[in-house]
Amino acid sequence: MELKNRGDLAINGLGSSNGGQFNLVTLNGRGTINNDVECHEFECNGLGTVNGNVTADTARVNGNAKFKGTFESEKLTVEGTAKFEKNLNVKNLRVSGKASVGGSVKCEEIKLRGMLSVGEDCEAELFKGEYRFTIGGLLNADQVEIKIYGECKAKEIGGQTITVRQHKGSFISALLKPIFKAQLETELIEGDKIDLENTIAKVVRGNQVRIGPNCQIGVVEYTDEFSQDKNAIVNDIRKA
Amino acid sequence: MSEELISKKELLELAGISYGQLYRWKRKDLIPEEWFVRKSTFTGQETFFPKEKILERINKIQTMKENLSLDELADMFSPSLSDLQLDRDELIKRNIVSNAVMNLYLENDQSGPKFNFSRMLEVYVLEKLLQSGEINLDEGKMLLQVLKDNAALIKQKSCELMITRKLGVSSCLLLINAEEVHFERGTKVVVQVSLMTCMEEIKSKLV
Repeated sequence: MELKNRGDLAINGLGSSNGGQFNLVTLNGRGTINNDVECHEFECNGLGTVNGNVTADTARVNGNAKFKGTFESEKLTVEGTAKFEKNLNVKNLRVSGKASVGGSVKCEEIKLRGMLSVGEDCEAELFKGEYRFTIGGLLNADQVEIKIYGECKAKEIGGQTITVRQHKGSFISALLKPIFKAQLETELIEGDKIDLENTIAKVVRGNQVRIGPNCQIGVVEYTDEFSQDKNAIVNDIRKA
Repeated sequence: MSEELISKKELLELAGISYGQLYRWKRKDLIPEEWFVRKSTFTGQETFFPKEKILERINKIQTMKENLSLDELADMFSPSLSDLQLDRDELIKRNIVSNAVMNLYLENDQSGPKFNFSRMLEVYVLEKLLQSGEINLDEGKMLLQVLKDNAALIKQKSCELMITRKLGVSSCLLLINAEEVHFERGTKVVVQVSLMTCMEEIKSKLV
């Protein structure tokens, strides 16, 4: 990208822009961008809305942002609330606030320490999910590492290594436990190496499967190894 | 759909690949989404694939992945293309287009001797259909017009090109993700080509 001759766009207060190409885009007040925007750095600290597509190198949402088009960036950090109505293509995604995506998510690395909801499929090389997420389609990642704090849901999970761990509860979470169920719910898990805790799944297929405590699994199909905790319920076990 | 299907489990066994590999290839778009057919079985939901197509694709991936990276492979299979530019002599040398058709194409298109992928596709389709004798020159021009007007769409979607004739009048259609098309009686479908296949053919000639 040729950046030298580009200006910056800053909206401090109530304002709107028609988009275009910029070096730096900052929305500090209540800013609206009505069309596509392409920039090196995108930052939203207030209440921002982009009605077009966004292409950026680095992006950061600290306030409340809404994107009506697709969002593409090398790096995206969400510390506030971000809503993407279409697809999200980011190399490096970090969410410690709340992000919801209407379409699909394609990333290399997703680090989640907040809430994420995805309408369609979610793809990444590495998916590290702590806290809560909901994925309407397939969660497809080479390495899936999930630490459960709250309610996690995905329609299907597939990948090479899939690890699900229960967060070591604190005193407060022990008190809240009856109210919030801290579990991963999914229909299908497929992977080469699967290690589960606190998971409800209809079908689990893999080569090496370990079912840990508090799991409820309908069917496990495995090829090499299988082990089961005494506090887990598995209705049917098949060795292929 | 009357194709023979194969379940995911059988496929993994037959091809000797792991879940991780299959999912990785899916992520890299080496295996098209449409091939994942979901069906309910007595064990719950299972995924099936069109047997012939998937085995052929996996075979291709496995033989080519030694020389090419997965991303390069994805470029090869996916319709969205790299910013490759070739000039006319190169295309003739690589057997993508004959000299006669190339001259014809350049008469209709003045944008110079450098070919990007959309132009390569245009000239390749023209070559293919003219050489087979299925279409005439005017239809060739019509086809170029359609391809040029929809160049952006063709890059993203799986498209098919169709030429029909009725009472000596021909028309050219571009079908996007179409399952079936029906015409009134008396319409003759002269030719129907999948642009995806054409792109793969070009790419295999480029490598």
